[in-house]
Amino acid sequence: MTAAISPAVPERTGPALRSNLIGRFWLVAALLAMIAIFGSLRPEMLEPGNVATILRSFAIMATMTLGLTWVMAAGKIDVSFMQVAALSNMIAAALLAAGHGWGVASAAGLGAGLIAGAVNGLLIAGLGLPPLIVTIATGGICASIAAALGKGTSIRIAEHGLLTDLLTTNIGPFPLVLFGVLLVYAIAWVFQERLTFGHYMYAIAQSEEAVIEAGISSRRLLIMLFVLTGGLSALAGLFLAASLSSGQPMIGASYFINGLTAVLLGGMMIHIGKPNIIGTAVAILFLAVLASGAALLGWADWKRQIIQGALLLIGIAVAVRANRKKGGHHAEAGL
Amino acid sequence: MALPALTATSVTKRFGPFVALHDIDFSLEPGEIHALLGVNGAGKSTFIKILSGIHVKDGGRIELAGREVHFHSPQDAIRAGIATVQQHPELVPDISGYENIFLGRESEGGSLFARMDRKALERRGQALLKRFPVEIDLSRKVGEMPAVEREIVAILQALAGEHIRVLILDEPTSTLTEVEKDILFRLMANLRESGIAIIYITHRLDEVYEIADRFSVFRGGRRVATVAVTEAREERLSLAELMLGETLGEVFPEKNAAPSRGEAVLEVRGLARDGAFEDLTFAARRGEILGVFGLVGSGIDELSKALFGAMPPDRGAMRLLGQEASFSSPGEALARGIFLVPGDRRSEGLTLSRSSIFNMTLAKLDKASRRGGLMRRPDNLRAARRLAEEVTLQPPDIGAPVGRFSGGNQQKVVIAKGLYTEAELYIFVEPTVGVDIGARSRIYGLMRELSRKAAVIVMSTDCDEVFGLADRTIALYRGKRVPAPEDMPRGDLLMAGILGEAHT
Amino acid sequence: MMKSGLLPHGAGRVLAFLGLVAVMATLFTLAEPRFLSQANFSAMTRHMAANGLAALGLTFVVIVRRFDLSFAGVACFAAMTIGFAIAGGLPLWVAIGSGILVGVVAGAVNGIAISHFGLPDIVTTIATGSIAAGMAFLYSGGRTIFQNFFTSGIIDLNDARVLGFSVSFVFLIAIYACAWVLMHRTRYGAAFYATGENPVSAFYSGIPTRTYTALAFVACAVGAVLAVVLILAESGTADTNEGANLLMPAYAAVFLGAALMGGTSVLATLSGTFLITMLLDGFALAGMPYYYSDGIVSAILLGGVLLFDPRVRDILDDAVRFLIPKKTETRR
Repeated sequence: MTAAISPAVPERTGPALRSNLIGRFWLVAALLAMIAIFGSLRPEMLEPGNVATILRSFAIMATMTLGLTWVMAAGKIDVSFMQVAALSNMIAAALLAAGHGWGVASAAGLGAGLIAGAVNGLLIAGLGLPPLIVTIATGGICASIAAALGKGTSIRIAEHGLLTDLLTTNIGPFPLVLFGVLLVYAIAWVFQERLTFGHYMYAIAQSEEAVIEAGISSRRLLIMLFVLTGGLSALAGLFLAASLSSGQPMIGASYFINGLTAVLLGGMMIHIGKPNIIGTAVAILFLAVLASGAALLGWADWKRQIIQGALLLIGIAVAVRANRKKGGHHAEAGL
Repeated sequence: MALPALTATSVTKRFGPFVALHDIDFSLEPGEIHALLGVNGAGKSTFIKILSGIHVKDGGRIELAGREVHFHSPQDAIRAGIATVQQHPELVPDISGYENIFLGRESEGGSLFARMDRKALERRGQALLKRFPVEIDLSRKVGEMPAVEREIVAILQALAGEHIRVLILDEPTSTLTEVEKDILFRLMANLRESGIAIIYITHRLDEVYEIADRFSVFRGGRRVATVAVTEAREERLSLAELMLGETLGEVFPEKNAAPSRGEAVLEVRGLARDGAFEDLTFAARRGEILGVFGLVGSGIDELSKALFGAMPPDRGAMRLLGQEASFSSPGEALARGIFLVPGDRRSEGLTLSRSSIFNMTLAKLDKASRRGGLMRRPDNLRAARRLAEEVTLQPPDIGAPVGRFSGGNQQKVVIAKGLYTEAELYIFVEPTVGVDIGARSRIYGLMRELSRKAAVIVMSTDCDEVFGLADRTIALYRGKRVPAPEDMPRGDLLMAGILGEAHT
Repeated sequence: MMKSGLLPHGAGRVLAFLGLVAVMATLFTLAEPRFLSQANFSAMTRHMAANGLAALGLTFVVIVRRFDLSFAGVACFAAMTIGFAIAGGLPLWVAIGSGILVGVVAGAVNGIAISHFGLPDIVTTIATGSIAAGMAFLYSGGRTIFQNFFTSGIIDLNDARVLGFSVSFVFLIAIYACAWVLMHRTRYGAAFYATGENPVSAFYSGIPTRTYTALAFVACAVGAVLAVVLILAESGTADTNEGANLLMPAYAAVFLGAALMGGTSVLATLSGTFLITMLLDGFALAGMPYYYSDGIVSAILLGGVLLFDPRVRDILDDAVRFLIPKKTETRR
């Protein structure tokens, strides 16, 4: 019946379906291949201790990038997330050094993250300021406060807390915190895929106007996303404090490129061209395995950085191509 | 007899001193398709904007099924049972038809954290399709749908909300093909069956005869006639006369005498662009204005861009002053002496934050600068002053950002920009949209003056403008040139553009 | 209809800027008399030079309404390239030339990817910047390069003086003068602005908008490379993170300048750079630790963006009117 209106349909499904399957899960295949290669070159890669290390760094990174994934899924950007993590990390360390317990330290760290997220959200979604500039600035302020708390250097943490146990206790090769993170991701997947929340989020990236015309408060949703990003980044900062037994003011820098790469690379699977949390999780695991394998093989860090940058660039190019094929015809106006 | 679905009594709307609507009386029966006809600026858009709550009326009374209503926002109108589908509805391209129809209404209250039950949306969508049968696969992504299906999704979205009794469609067929149009009309007929009254704005008379029960003609802010279609058929009513009225007024300058027409500046043979226009052959001569009349979707906009190198044609040939011409960018067209005064001057013709001097010289920086690229500032200032005087920019504040100017003054700046390039051929698209009446006659006068030394083409959706201005006219209908003499009378030109044939 | 605004326009803005500078200079001098000393003045002009050049490059990209986050990484790579060339005994001009070449290539890659292939500017430049920062390690594996620096003459760039000003400051002013002529007095500047403010209209006016967008990215990278040359001259060594600190002050300077002057321009960026340099210098003299500087620059950036936003300005205008109603009678 509908074929009369749109004869293009039947031709498209065959090859499109096959390329879809490859397109959707190639990153998983690449991850498995990489594990196999590194594992055969350096068998110690797959030892429980190393696996636990990889999974711990996966858990921390995954916490930090969950909110970021959604912010980018909604077509915005946040480049302050890693500095928010550094800030919460240093606040916790400073409070612990001053003799407060982990409870107070964690609450303060989280609170700072939520405030930073709220400021981002209000300025970007509320006032409509450019997300990049706003988050560069809030990120800079957070970094500065973090450094000031330690007077420019790191703070040692002597006290053991619940978070420390979560991170350092392993069940087999699995750190405890991993289970918490996986649970959060499972719940978040439901939010993203099964609730109007995720549905609206992707719709905003496509056509914010249509969403507003449909009577949906896109502003409220976006503020929520930024607050969530702030809060989760702060939580990751607390994990780092527990994991490293110290507050490190400069820790943000190393997470910046990794976080964005994970989100964009993850956006290349499942929903092509759209950041999504399962994709992000696989991409983070991919990057963590790459880092571990590279270290075991004795590669310098900068080589890994170049590979990662190239991956990111390829990811962007593929996403743009995929979106263009889907029919975003831009006029020839050279835009 | 049942109450009318909607009645308007003495509805009036003013914009400043300008009266857009004079005492409009209008009634709409339940289950009626009522077309609104009228040339651009006749007031029909203003009228439906009042009915859909976008504008607030200044006087008069609107009743829905016998109860008076007051709208202060589009939401008020929707709550009262009037839904409107805009000419270019906003949809989310990457989600399915079902999801677009119920966007924001997936659950009671539209919570951000409701379950996203796609199956339920499908069921609700199917139920909607049962009420209003139409052939459409709503599970496809809207971005992959052809134009008609997007229109249908927008209509279903409008109908899905509340208990809609009146549906307003603003030129839904302007971008549809013949086959697609039939699909839309079947849906409209089904809606009529289920008792929904439809107000339908169109420019195409053949469609009115095909689908509407009655039509109302607007002219100069007044409703001048309401006629049942059957009656109109029997009485062979002259719609052209109704829509156009008697006098053209004094806005148009005198035409050039035939002997003053010179050599062909532009010759176009068999020009085609798939999906826009096909097999166009015509010539524009020095010393005359060639008029091209066509509705939205007739291809005039694409044609203007193809001639200017902004949108390459697929087939056909162009010759400029006897030389082969094919342009891959507007830069090349400008260098060969073609200037386009685009239809959307704010987004295509001007850098709004900049001064007139900047804008006037932008299209020919070769002339505005020395060999090394240094701008000839005193010369440019003088040139801008002279051009401002020539186009009667008022006030001639050539240093002010052009974004602050009125529509008429902005258009004068675009024309001055064209004058600065000293082109051989000027193409004007919709030259007076959003231009007040005083500036209009000056702009027409400028076009006439230009036509004395260069060739001028005017392309417009306003029949009177084309007829009043041009020495020769052709009409475009759905991308094709309507076969008719180039000196056809006014009524014939209108019919050619809106029916596709000059005589009815 | 249009609000005249209490924030002044045109010439008024320049006066307001100078007033602001005078007030701050007074405050700093009161806090720390050394602020007005010759030594501080020459230190300030030197600091201003590197940041000013990076900000000037960024100005081009912002004028075509894009963002570039790669120039800090590109500057690192260029710094190591120059260092490697100097260590290898190449003449200074060849060394600097090779650094500039790195900038041109990186900028062209960014520009073509963004304007011709339609890649999104922000994430693309993050990626290329990261690659460039990684490539800074190519030559020495991350070790500082210092060989031949003393004999190469690059340090003279830092120490030499012309008419009492450091060479770097004179260089800065010269480059700004050229950029000002280019952007505000030539057809090329008109084309850059037209491309940024309305690309469709620019395209319809015959301007090759893609080329200008790509050129802006080249200018941005080259600006950062020139900045890093001055940094190398000052430090006398080449480090892999030599350009990393250029990013934040450049953004702050461009957007603060735009807020002060009512739009992005060469002079706006110069005044933004000057103000930021003065603030940082003043606070540093007053004994503020170095790690506050990023925060201060960020706060200034945020303030600048807020002031730049017309809605926020309207709110501020209304608030000021409400508080001091008598002074606001000059409304048009």
